[in-house]
Amino acid sequence: MAAIEFAEETRQQAERIGSADIVIGLAGPVAAEELRTRAAQMIPSLGPSLTSLRIVVAWPSPGAESAGASLNGSNPHALTLFPFTPPAASAGEFWAPVSAHQRAVLALAATLNARVCIVLGSDLAALDAHNLQLFAYAVLERQCGLVMPIYGAGKYDGLINTGILSPLHRALFGKRIRYPLSYDFAASGALCSRLAGISAGSNHNDNALLWPVTVAATHTSQAAVGQVHLDAHHQTAAGGLDLSAVLSQLAGSLFQEMDACAANWQRIRGSQPSPIWGNAPAEEADGQPIDTRPMLDSFLLGSKNLDEVWRLVLPPNTLLELRRLTRLAPDQFRMPDELWAGVVYDFALAWRLRTISRAHLLGALTPLYLGWVASWAGEVSALSRAAAEQRFEQLAHAWEDKKPYLLSRWRWPDRFNP
Amino acid sequence: MWDQVKQSLQSSMGRAMESLARLLPGILAFIVAFLLFLFIGWVLAWLVRRILMVVGFDERMNHGAHTIAEWSPRLTPSQLVGRIVFWCFLTAGVMVGVSAFEAGSSESVVSGWILGYVPRIVGAALLLLAGNVLARYVSRSVLIAGVNLNLSYARLLSVGVRWMILVLTGAMVLDHLALGSEIVELGFGILFGGIVLALALAVGLGSRDLVSRSLEREASRAIEEQQQPERIHHF
Repeated sequence: MAAIEFAEETRQQAERIGSADIVIGLAGPVAAEELRTRAAQMIPSLGPSLTSLRIVVAWPSPGAESAGASLNGSNPHALTLFPFTPPAASAGEFWAPVSAHQRAVLALAATLNARVCIVLGSDLAALDAHNLQLFAYAVLERQCGLVMPIYGAGKYDGLINTGILSPLHRALFGKRIRYPLSYDFAASGALCSRLAGISAGSNHNDNALLWPVTVAATHTSQAAVGQVHLDAHHQTAAGGLDLSAVLSQLAGSLFQEMDACAANWQRIRGSQPSPIWGNAPAEEADGQPIDTRPMLDSFLLGSKNLDEVWRLVLPPNTLLELRRLTRLAPDQFRMPDELWAGVVYDFALAWRLRTISRAHLLGALTPLYLGWVASWAGEVSALSRAAAEQRFEQLAHAWEDKKPYLLSRWRWPDRFNP
Repeated sequence: MWDQVKQSLQSSMGRAMESLARLLPGILAFIVAFLLFLFIGWVLAWLVRRILMVVGFDERMNHGAHTIAEWSPRLTPSQLVGRIVFWCFLTAGVMVGVSAFEAGSSESVVSGWILGYVPRIVGAALLLLAGNVLARYVSRSVLIAGVNLNLSYARLLSVGVRWMILVLTGAMVLDHLALGSEIVELGFGILFGGIVLALALAVGLGSRDLVSRSLEREASRAIEEQQQPERIHHF
C-alpha cells in the first residue's frame, strides 16, 4: 500500500474545512485567478440541488496560496477554494503527472469524507455547471460508483483510445466504457480511497497510471459504472514526446494492469452496456478524407525492418497476414479487426512473459498501430460520426470475440500456436 | 635382453604410477573444493533469491523506464542476482580448487600458470558476454528508434552499431587475454577506422541519393505538417 503523504499545511487546511459533500478536484496546477473567475460565474447556474451542498474546489498549487477562501456568488452556500501542496510523487512524463494529481485529489476527497469527487482536467475545459450537474446526478441520484465521460470527439480524435484502450478494457472487464482513461470523471465517496490507492488492499506503485474503470471492475463490491456526455475538448499536451513514447506509456501501463488483474478479467465473458446520461453534442461536419500515406509508409517500413522483432512476439499466421497487407494498394489497405485484436493480445502476452525487452516490445508496436490507424482512417473517412461509432462497436465486438484466444495463450503460453 | 626390457618397462611404469599417485591427492582436493563451493554457491543463490523476493526487490527494480529487466528480459532481477552469486562462487571454487591441487600435488608449475591466467579468462568471458548483450540491445534499440523515426536506412544503422560494438568487444577481449597485443591494437585501429571510413564513403557516395531522399522527405513532411493543421489526434 502506498499512502499519499500530504504536507502538514494541507492536512491542517483539510481539518479546518472538516467535511464536504462534493469535492471538485483539478488534476494539475491551474491559474488561480482564472479558476476563481470561472467558479464565480458558474455558481448561479449550479441549481438548487447543488448549491445546497457543501462544495470544495481543490487543485494542486506548488506555491501555497490563501486557503479556505469562499466564493458565495448570489447563493447563501459557498464554494470553498482549497489549493493544496501536491505530493512529491507527481513527476514524470505525459500522463504520469495527471494520474498522480488525480490520485491526490481523490485522496483529499476521502480525507474530507466527500460523497462525490469530481475530477476535472487542469485546462478547465470541463468546468461547466451542466457537466458538474450530470456527474453529481449520476453519483448521488443514480448511485453510480464511477462515472466516466463520453466526449464529442471527431472521427480522427483519440485514436489510441479507439484502437487499443477502449476495446481492450471492454473485452477484459466487460464494461462498455468509451473513454477509460480521461481527464474528467466522478467517483462516489466509497470508491475514492480505493482509486487513490490509500485503502486496505490497494496495490499500486507511484509510477502506475490510474485506470479508474479497472479499479471499479476489480473492486470487491463491484461499483456501478455510468457514463455522461461531456461537451468539452481537451488540448492534450504530449510535452514534446513522440507518438512512440506516448503509446509505450499508455499501452505499457495497461498491459501492467492486465497482468495485475489477470485473476479478475479471466472470469469475465462478453460485455454489458453502461447507463449513459446527457445529450451527445451536435455533430461537426468532417467529411474530407485524410491522407493516410505517411502512416502506411511507417507500417511498411516497420514490416520491412522489424520482422526479427515481430517474429519473437507474433505467431506465424499473424505474420503471414501482415505480410499480405503490405502488398495491398493504399486505397485497399484494410487491417481486419480480428487481426488487430490478436496483435495487441500477443503484445500483451509478450509483455507478461518478457519475451523481449519491454521498451523494445512497445517500440515495435508503433508501426503496427500506425498501420491500424491508416486502415481505420481510410475506412471511416466516408462515414458520419454516428456511423463511425457504429464501426467502433464492430471493432470492440471483434475484440470480445477474440478474447478466448487471449485466455488460451495467457494460460498456456507454450502451447503450439500456428 | 628380455629381462632388461621388462625391468625398464616396470621401472617407467612405476615412475608413471608414482607421478599419478602424487597427483591424485591434488585432483581429489580440487574436486572436493569445487563441489563444496558448488554446493555453497547453490545454497547461497537460493537464499539470496528468496530474501530478495521477500523484500520485493523485483517490484523495486521494475519501476521506471530503464531497469535491469530491460537488459535481461527472461530473468527477474532477483533471479539475475541469484545467478551472479552462484557463478561467483563457482569461479571461486575453481580458483580454490586449483590452489588445493597445488598444495596437494606439489606440482606448482601448472597451477601457478593456471592461477595466473584464470582471472584473465574470467574477465575476458565477462567482457565477451557484456559486449554481446550490449551489441544486441543497442542494435535493436537503434533499429526500432530508426523505424519509428521513419528512417529508411534504420537497418543499416543498426547493423553498423552492432558490428562496431562487437569489433570493440573482440579487441578488448584479446587485449585482456594478452594475445598478440600489438597486432590486436594495430588491427583494431585499421578495422575500426576502416569501418568508419567505409560508412562515410557509403553515405557520401553510395547511399548519397538514399540519404538525401530521406532528408528531403523529412523536410517536406515538416513543411506539410506546418501548412496543414493536424487532423489526426492519437490521444
